[in-house]
Amino acid sequence: MIMNPITNRQVLDLPIRESGAKNRNRIISGGALVVALAVLTVVLPFVTSGYVIYIANLLLVFTVLSLGMHIVIGEAGQFSLSHAAFYGLGIYTAGLLNNAFGLPLILNIIAGGLVAGLCGLAIGFLSLRMRDIYLALSTFAFGEAMQWIFLNWTPVTGGPNGLNFQPAHLFGFTFLSDKAAYPVVLILALVFVAATFVIHFSTLGRSFRAVRESEIAAAAVGIDVKRVKIFAFALSAFYAGAAGGLFTTFSTFIHPESLGFHTTILVLTMVVVGGIGSVSGAIGGAIVFGLISELLRQVPSYQEVIYGGILILFMMYLPRGIFSLIGRR
Amino acid sequence: MLTRRTPLRAAAVAALLSMFAAPALAQEPGLTPTSIKIGLFGPLSGPSMSYGFDVMNAARMYYDKINAEGGIHGRKIELSVQDDRCNANDLVAAVKKLVEQDQVFLLNGASCSAAAVAGKDYVVRSGVPWLMLNASADGALYPPQPNIFGAFSISQRAMGGSIVEFAVKQLNAKKIGYINHDDAYGAWNLEAAQFQAKDNKVDLVVESVNPNISDVTAPLLKLRAANVDVLLIATYARPAQLILKKAYELGFTKPQVLAVNAIANVQQLSENVGSKDAFKNVYIQEVLADKPGSEKLKWVYDMYKTSYPDLASKPDHPQVYMPYGIPSAMAVVKALQDAGPDLTRAKFIEAAKKLNFDSGVMAGPIAFGENERAAQKASIFLKFDGAEMTRVPGAFASRWTYQGQ
Repeated sequence: MIMNPITNRQVLDLPIRESGAKNRNRIISGGALVVALAVLTVVLPFVTSGYVIYIANLLLVFTVLSLGMHIVIGEAGQFSLSHAAFYGLGIYTAGLLNNAFGLPLILNIIAGGLVAGLCGLAIGFLSLRMRDIYLALSTFAFGEAMQWIFLNWTPVTGGPNGLNFQPAHLFGFTFLSDKAAYPVVLILALVFVAATFVIHFSTLGRSFRAVRESEIAAAAVGIDVKRVKIFAFALSAFYAGAAGGLFTTFSTFIHPESLGFHTTILVLTMVVVGGIGSVSGAIGGAIVFGLISELLRQVPSYQEVIYGGILILFMMYLPRGIFSLIGRR
Repeated sequence: MLTRRTPLRAAAVAALLSMFAAPALAQEPGLTPTSIKIGLFGPLSGPSMSYGFDVMNAARMYYDKINAEGGIHGRKIELSVQDDRCNANDLVAAVKKLVEQDQVFLLNGASCSAAAVAGKDYVVRSGVPWLMLNASADGALYPPQPNIFGAFSISQRAMGGSIVEFAVKQLNAKKIGYINHDDAYGAWNLEAAQFQAKDNKVDLVVESVNPNISDVTAPLLKLRAANVDVLLIATYARPAQLILKKAYELGFTKPQVLAVNAIANVQQLSENVGSKDAFKNVYIQEVLADKPGSEKLKWVYDMYKTSYPDLASKPDHPQVYMPYGIPSAMAVVKALQDAGPDLTRAKFIEAAKKLNFDSGVMAGPIAFGENERAAQKASIFLKFDGAEMTRVPGAFASRWTYQGQ
């Protein structure tokens, strides 16, 4: 356990820079993994079924969701348990705009992100008055309230019957299958991945991490802590809303049951098991745990036990996350 | 212009075409001369497992029986099974795996309505025939889609129409109090209830309540003030218990009829309402052909015990919805038989549209039509005194039909 000498509070256990040879090996293994993933993602639609592409699309959406949660929890160190609500806001906004005005996909995704981002901004103000478990409970309450609204605002959300959307379209092309949607979902997910890396290495990313480690120390070096915290929440919510918009690329139906606390916990698990504070960890966690969840569907009698067992093993033997094996970025 | 090479070219083109055309005709997915692959799916895990686990077992045991009898036109049924967790995303993943990866000929699955609706668009686009299990799924059945068939237990609309029919024909009600939910399910059952009331020339006084309501005094007082002859309770189980309890406290003595979706567990209902006197004039709707455990349905429970002796020895099995899996599997088998030995998906869908048979399990016939995709529209009613159930003679059917709204 590492303690902050100024605040005397526990801080995230970031790894110490390792020797050059070891570091080089890790960069090579990480690079090889990235190249292998890149080849796989490109050839995937040509060698596999629509079902596999549907799962790939879902994993890409969960990757964007995880990156959003990574920003607020991993980078800025703030508790947030309302991610499913922001995701839902993005889905409903994008879907409803498509139904009502037939807007192109990109505009729907941006709108979904903006609506969720505005709500995230409001939640960000909460973070100025609360922290730790109190902030976690407040954001949890917001998530529950939003699910209640999704379930009961029947004229708008379809209520418990769910809501059907028109298939998304872009430049006159309508996405009627998973394979058709895959390139767009992939490109947009990569945009969010790239943006997250840019943020990570930018002044903003450093400000996030400074606030995470010590608000007092961050303020002492001239960082506007309030603004940074609010921005972290808004940006995180924007990612989640945009992930919702992305979901409407290949899915034409949403039910509020899919937007409950279990979705937030699933994303949190992805971020934590992937490696909290690590961009590649958030991506890897989303892919690995998304795949595990789908694979376990094939063994229904044991899936809860296996899932729990895997989670415990990860926490015991890889507490810094899966991707601590290949680097922290 | 004809040349010496024309017949040669024509032959070459014909040969080329036949190379592609012949396999195309022979290659209906999931079909071989000796087997038909069916995608069976429902909740096999998670909190909603009880809605479908034994329903799937019932369908499976019926298919085993058909295979033991020699199959259908020489083909044995092969099952490819998937867990949909009663969750929209998981159902879509299950369906896509069955259709695109496992290459099934048809789908037989879904026990949860909300999740089932999520699969509608994909199934319509893919053209694969889909016969649901016990999901009511009005949202996927209306407007009718060419290749989707369901409501083998009962649709929400048929539930509403049937319960009003009982109130009019059996209880001689002229003014009916009707409590439903203010959500999509409530709107669906009310639509048919209003149609049936109008058709029978009786008044329907409606109170729509939130599914999470905690105090039902106001809607009950309104219905009592309206002096209704009978109270129909078309809510979920928890509000239904509150309504029965409050009706007793308010001294409401007119007949009260609980819809099938208002009853999760009759014993629990009785315990939660508290007083046996509250059940002096209570009826419950049932969509099976007779009381569960009656002589008429004994063969279903016996078949279950023979097929799954280990499960049957456990206290919670068979689960309450188990018999609902039989009519769905029966419909699949009958449509396969009617479609003939030269089976195609198009022939199967045409045969399914014309199905009309008595399953011996459900209260009414399993019947589809050119513009009808909900199978079962009738229910029976049981007088419930808080402990024992007594069958009221007859079955009561909804007459509402889809008119292309």
